[in-house]
Amino acid sequence: MHQFQVYKIGPEIKLGSVDLSFTNASLFMLISAFTICLFLFLGSKKKSIIPDRVQLIAELFYNFIAKMISDTAGSKAKPYFPFIFCLFMFVLLCNMIGMLPYSFTVTSHIIVTLVMALFIFIAVTVIGFLKHGFKYLSLFVPKGVPVVLLPLITVIEIISYLSRPVSLSVRLFANMMAGHTMLKVFGSFVISLGLLGGWLPLSFSVALTGLEILVAFLQAYVFAILTCIYLNDALNLHH
Amino acid sequence: MQLRILIAIIIYFETTLFAAEAGMPQLDSKYWISQSFWLILIFSLLYILLSKFFIPKIKENLDDREKKIKENLDNAKNLSDMAEQKALDYEKEILKAKKDVIKILSEAKKQMEKNINQKKTIFDKEIEKEISKVENEIQNLKKNSNKAINQIAEEISSKVIENITGEKLNESSIKAMVAEVSKDKMDKYL
Repeated sequence: MHQFQVYKIGPEIKLGSVDLSFTNASLFMLISAFTICLFLFLGSKKKSIIPDRVQLIAELFYNFIAKMISDTAGSKAKPYFPFIFCLFMFVLLCNMIGMLPYSFTVTSHIIVTLVMALFIFIAVTVIGFLKHGFKYLSLFVPKGVPVVLLPLITVIEIISYLSRPVSLSVRLFANMMAGHTMLKVFGSFVISLGLLGGWLPLSFSVALTGLEILVAFLQAYVFAILTCIYLNDALNLHH
Repeated sequence: MQLRILIAIIIYFETTLFAAEAGMPQLDSKYWISQSFWLILIFSLLYILLSKFFIPKIKENLDDREKKIKENLDNAKNLSDMAEQKALDYEKEILKAKKDVIKILSEAKKQMEKNINQKKTIFDKEIEKEISKVENEIQNLKKNSNKAINQIAEEISSKVIENITGEKLNESSIKAMVAEVSKDKMDKYL
């Protein structure tokens, strides 16, 4: 599990008793952010009517996220487009860069995904209360439910609402970690079985790499679309 | 006793937790705060950069393109409308020209007929004039020729008589004779 190890790079930074040292996790976050900026810079630098490849991909991502937001959360969610775009790109790039051998996968750490999920959870809750006041609590009381079932349903709704950050963060973290662990396991099989028997796990490893790239994209997409859905709950009460 | 069991359980869980930490670096809380701090810092920076610079730029590019395409399409539509209008105008013009041609042709025909008629009457008149003139001339000629013939006849008769008889008859008697003959026979020859 060496690939998940976090270690300090450079001098120790301490704020009081809190350790804020720059780690390899921070380095790969920085690399991801920088790659996004570079990609978007190259993709928006030229103002050509017929886009080149990088511009086309950048605009594809833009339209992809824009469509996703308008499909799931409607036109009211437009002001949150930069945040969701940023979130999607960041998670996607962290996942993808994690696929490179000897790199570090930022999103395979529960604390990273938990911070993001908690931020989304708190932000969505705040937005919901700001938009609808205490009527936002009616989110927990679905319409058209028999009165007998209402207490039970309400409790379930509250639990499911509160478990949102957990499910959101654990989904991404577990997927990334499981994928990398599986790749590592199959990689070690290749070594231990040697030249004679190593070919089977090697082919599995290759196939899994393809799958993991798909998962990396899919999890970023799921993360972003779930954020959109939560936002939709907050913006359009009782859809 | 119960407290002891509780402590034992806690110790047990802690040891297993530490074991897990050895296996899963994710559960090692040593760098949690550092990771959260750098995540928030870097993500905020990224958010600011994206929302302030890159996203508006991409949006502008997309809007520009859409605008330009719309403009071009509108232009094309305008031009095609104009071309259609031009074609209609052209057809109208041709129709008008055809009508004009027919009108001009019929007018020219009428004019020509008029001219021909005019010329015809003029010619007719002239011809009539000529004919009357010629008739007159003929009439004159007839008269003159009568005299001339009579004279010639007189001369010939006098000569013939002279030759036959050897005598000269007086002119007046010959004249009278010729006049008599010619009166009888003139209508036969002229």
